[in-house]
Amino acid sequence: MLSAFLSAFRTPDLRKKLLFTVFIVGIYRLGATLPSPGVSYGNVEKCLDIIKNSEQNGVFTLLNLFSGGALLSLSVFALGIMPYITASIILQLLTVVIPRLEQLRKEGQSGQAKITQYTRYLTLGLAVLQSSAFVALARSGQLFQNRCDQYPIVPDMSAKGMPQWLTLSVLVITMTAGTGVIMWLGELITDRGVGNGMSVLIFTSIAARLPGEGWTIKEQKGWYWFFAVLALVLLIITAVVFIEQAQRRIPVQYAKRMVGRRMYGGTSTYIPLKVNQAGVIPVIFASSLLYLPQLALQFGDQNNPGNFEIWVRDNLASPTSWIYITVYFLLIIFFTYFYVSITFNPTEVADNMKKYGGFVPGIRPGKPTAEYLDFILSRITLPGALYLGLISVLPNFFFIWLDSQTYQNFPFGGTAVLIMVGVGLETVKQIESQLMQRNYEGFLR
Amino acid sequence: MGVSQRVKNRFRRFLQRPGTTVDLAPLRKLLPQIEDRGSDLADLTDEELVEVAGGAKDFVEICAVGREAASRALGERPFDVQLLGAMSLLAGKVAEMATGEGKTLTAAVAAYGHVQQGNGPVHVLTINDYLARRDAQWMEPLYTRLGLTVGWVNESSTPEERRAAYACDVTYASVSEAGFDYLRDQLVTDIEDRVQPALSTAIVDEADSILIDEARVPMVLAGAVPGDQDPVHAAATLVKGLRPKRDYQVAEDGRSVQLTARGLATVEHRLGGVNLYADENTEQLSAVNVALHAHALLHRDVDYIVRNGAVELVDEMRGRVAQRRRWPDGLQAAVEAKEGLDATAEGEVLNTITVQAFIGRYRTVCGMTATAVHVGDQLREFFKLEVAVIPPNTPNVRADEPDRIYVSRAEKEEAMIAEIAKHHAAGRPVLIGTLDVKESESLALGLEAAGVPCVVLNAKNDEEEAAIIAEAGNHGAVTVSTQMAGRGVDIRLGGSDQADRERVAELGGLLVVGAGRHDSRRVDDQLRGRAGRQGDPGGSVFFVALEDNLVARHAADAVPASPKMRLEDGLVEDEQVDWAVEHAQRVAEGVNHEIHRNTWRYSVVIEQQRVALAERRERLLTTDVAGDLLRATYPDEMNEIDEETVNQAGRSIALYHLDRLWAEHLAEMSEVREGVHLRALGRLDPLDEFHRAAVPAFRKLVPEIEARTLATVEEIEELEDWTPEEAKLIRPSATWTYLVHDNPFGSELDRLIAAVGKRLTTEGR
Repeated sequence: MLSAFLSAFRTPDLRKKLLFTVFIVGIYRLGATLPSPGVSYGNVEKCLDIIKNSEQNGVFTLLNLFSGGALLSLSVFALGIMPYITASIILQLLTVVIPRLEQLRKEGQSGQAKITQYTRYLTLGLAVLQSSAFVALARSGQLFQNRCDQYPIVPDMSAKGMPQWLTLSVLVITMTAGTGVIMWLGELITDRGVGNGMSVLIFTSIAARLPGEGWTIKEQKGWYWFFAVLALVLLIITAVVFIEQAQRRIPVQYAKRMVGRRMYGGTSTYIPLKVNQAGVIPVIFASSLLYLPQLALQFGDQNNPGNFEIWVRDNLASPTSWIYITVYFLLIIFFTYFYVSITFNPTEVADNMKKYGGFVPGIRPGKPTAEYLDFILSRITLPGALYLGLISVLPNFFFIWLDSQTYQNFPFGGTAVLIMVGVGLETVKQIESQLMQRNYEGFLR
Repeated sequence: MGVSQRVKNRFRRFLQRPGTTVDLAPLRKLLPQIEDRGSDLADLTDEELVEVAGGAKDFVEICAVGREAASRALGERPFDVQLLGAMSLLAGKVAEMATGEGKTLTAAVAAYGHVQQGNGPVHVLTINDYLARRDAQWMEPLYTRLGLTVGWVNESSTPEERRAAYACDVTYASVSEAGFDYLRDQLVTDIEDRVQPALSTAIVDEADSILIDEARVPMVLAGAVPGDQDPVHAAATLVKGLRPKRDYQVAEDGRSVQLTARGLATVEHRLGGVNLYADENTEQLSAVNVALHAHALLHRDVDYIVRNGAVELVDEMRGRVAQRRRWPDGLQAAVEAKEGLDATAEGEVLNTITVQAFIGRYRTVCGMTATAVHVGDQLREFFKLEVAVIPPNTPNVRADEPDRIYVSRAEKEEAMIAEIAKHHAAGRPVLIGTLDVKESESLALGLEAAGVPCVVLNAKNDEEEAAIIAEAGNHGAVTVSTQMAGRGVDIRLGGSDQADRERVAELGGLLVVGAGRHDSRRVDDQLRGRAGRQGDPGGSVFFVALEDNLVARHAADAVPASPKMRLEDGLVEDEQVDWAVEHAQRVAEGVNHEIHRNTWRYSVVIEQQRVALAERRERLLTTDVAGDLLRATYPDEMNEIDEETVNQAGRSIALYHLDRLWAEHLAEMSEVREGVHLRALGRLDPLDEFHRAAVPAFRKLVPEIEARTLATVEEIEELEDWTPEEAKLIRPSATWTYLVHDNPFGSELDRLIAAVGKRLTTEGR
């Protein structure tokens, strides 16, 4: 692995790409720590400390995770890559609704370029909305659940001749512009660096939290726990890498050539069905759904909760409760099946194969093939779903074990590890493929 | 040129395609110097001019000498714009010059310039043999005045003629001839057999056609495989009675076909109730699939014609018979079986190269065409070429009318005939461009019925092309043609002698009528470009039916259910429909671009491997490494034999195995390529996966060559007596060459990759 990286660095154009990616990532991290004008950095630090040591968890933890901690400190890149992702998803959905967009997409590259342009505009629109919302939250103190009101994050400067509305507008403009820059950085990585820009930036954000969170454990529990957790995390990452690469290969044959047909040692044409065919999406779905009870509690009277509210707080909104863990686990299994059934339609695949003369040896095309694929898929999805569920609830056991809820947005936990390993593998594979073209040994033997 | 004019030009260029066109101002500044230098040169004798020509190095001198030599040799003094074009070519750009602006002469000056700048030998690549010969012979006097030699290569040229032609300073050849010569040179077993020297500079005529349209088509060198073609012939009778919709289904875009359950049952019943999908019947199934493809997707007089008892392919972009092109993988035999002809021998792929990769072997590439700006992005993406737009010598005054759109084809044809008859009655010459051979013939019948005599020019009589086109501008001439009239030919008003020029010009010049939009805007523009040559008057109008393949295939969903139309003649006047037609064309262009890009992306690694293997082959061919290997492995036996015999035998055996293994490697890779899109289902990148398969397979080749060479040596008894026959190492006895069109099977898969991949990546995030 290490030697492969070295040989990647020995290939001039690949080295250039890698260094370029590192350079962009550096800029991204710089922007994520750079406070926006008008934000009191000292007060932000104090508030983050208060939050860290409190038992309750915030609503924005997932968003904060994706922005690499930039959100809560209201830095220039506070919004992270999320507005761009949201905009891409919205446009993707709109193509289904608006025929003109679907027609544009069909026009190939030139149409796609127009859609990308729309995505960028929408991103900026969303960025204005989100930054306004967060600035408003910050001003009213809700960003830190009003537990930090003694330290205003955006202090009133009107006494010094800077009207408050101007401060706030500058903040919104800064964060919106920051989003535009992030979008550009992401596209630069895709075009001239290695890997997919958006994924690499998300990876960076999550990875950036690792040292800090690890240190928190050391601070609070000491070295013994720190190393124990570290060892466990390494074990989990190894397991995830292992399972992420596991696949069942269904051989496919194309009966179209009359000349030069022979069998080349084993089948080179197959459908790879992954054990984790669904990826990380089911986990995100499930955890989003489990945020709802927590969110609902915020609206209730927090000082005088009713019986039902207490039950919800202790069971559905508490990551250490067994009910929470069980519900989470079951939701993930459900969403895994749901998502796989959406993204992998055996009938569609069978039809496509038939259309181009492909078939699974020994199985007739059309319906029998679809049934066969469906059978294999449902069999392979079960271990995949169990695996996703287990990886995701592991951090909850950490909480029980460490006897604390502090590590709620623990970056070693389910979602984060799955995303990091996924992006990491994808990027390494791309580097490897480029390396192979230059006749070097690969990373993954 | 005034400041305001310059600003206007710059703005126009900015609007056209930002970034893809080159600024001509620096070259324009040289024109007065060339003019001055020209007046000095006019006093020189012919011998002195040759001497000066040999010393020209910079643009000014080259252009001035070229101009003087051209006016002496051809009686044509190149215009300033032609020199601008020549300088753009010298600077390695693609020059966009309108039809009739004298591209041939421009290229000749540029070829001379490239030779002078040390970039020789120069190959001028044309789209067909006819143009290669015509241009070479036409420009020969000019080259002689400049002290250069010129040669041309045709399909019928012998190896000696080819060698002589390539040895000239400037060689004219069609791109397929040059490409095949390159491929053949890669397979020689004796260094003396080579015909082509190292590739240096290419000036590509009709650059968009060759670099973009043709680039998707791989050139394939194939050897004959003796083998019975019975399955294909038998399968042809099996699928004969099958009906569309009931027995088989053609995909919306007309690129693929599949049997329905009922059709499959019929075929299996006819075969005696077998299960076609059982392991042992794979070959039979392949034959049925191929036969069905030939039966359902390939149409006589559209995709091919039958002439002299042979199936000849029609080039879809040009409407001409495609020289030596064959369908791959048994499809050719299936079409022959369908037409009741004897099957010609099948080919096994020995070596293949895409036109794009071949062009990439040249150190310097430049080109010219009338329609380059539309493909500016692609030229830059695939060839790193910039476009220089050369203004016409006299402004274009052709009147292009908006499209006339009808709902049904019958209405369209009726309206078209009426329009042609109207202009014909006045005596205005009309050129009609149809989409395929069949349509040209049916339209000709319709015109005859309406009392309009016409001449038909299509793939069936393309040898008469020059004669027919020369008279197409005559008073009262009506010419019905396929796209072939689109390129390389010049229509002069008033016929070849231009006797009636004034009379025809008064009527409005040549009228071009398009019988439908083509798959690409460029092809439309090429057709329009036949009229309005060199500032002549002229007009063009296209007739479109919503039933046309282009619209029906690519924009069926964008056409409103009941478009607004004029009641009296059914002419559609609906903005949405206008948009839909343009949209359909853009979709078609997008599809072709996508195919091109994928062909290219997947061939990059194969190209690297070809270069690596070619180096190894060169070493085997020119040194004694094979003999050394034998002596090292079998020191006792080999030392008894004469050294030269060992070298010779080792060389031929090793070369044979290298060529065989390369052919097998290519076959294996095309097999992998066929199904690699399925990997996207496991969220893997198909291209990365392709590399993952191609690289290790290639690494095994070199040791395998040695192993097989040694194995052969062990098998044979006496090395002295070694002849290929004895070891059953028969090189293909008949080697022929053809272009395989990549479309019939593969390309659709690439779009599937895009669709599946896109879905997974966007949803997977």
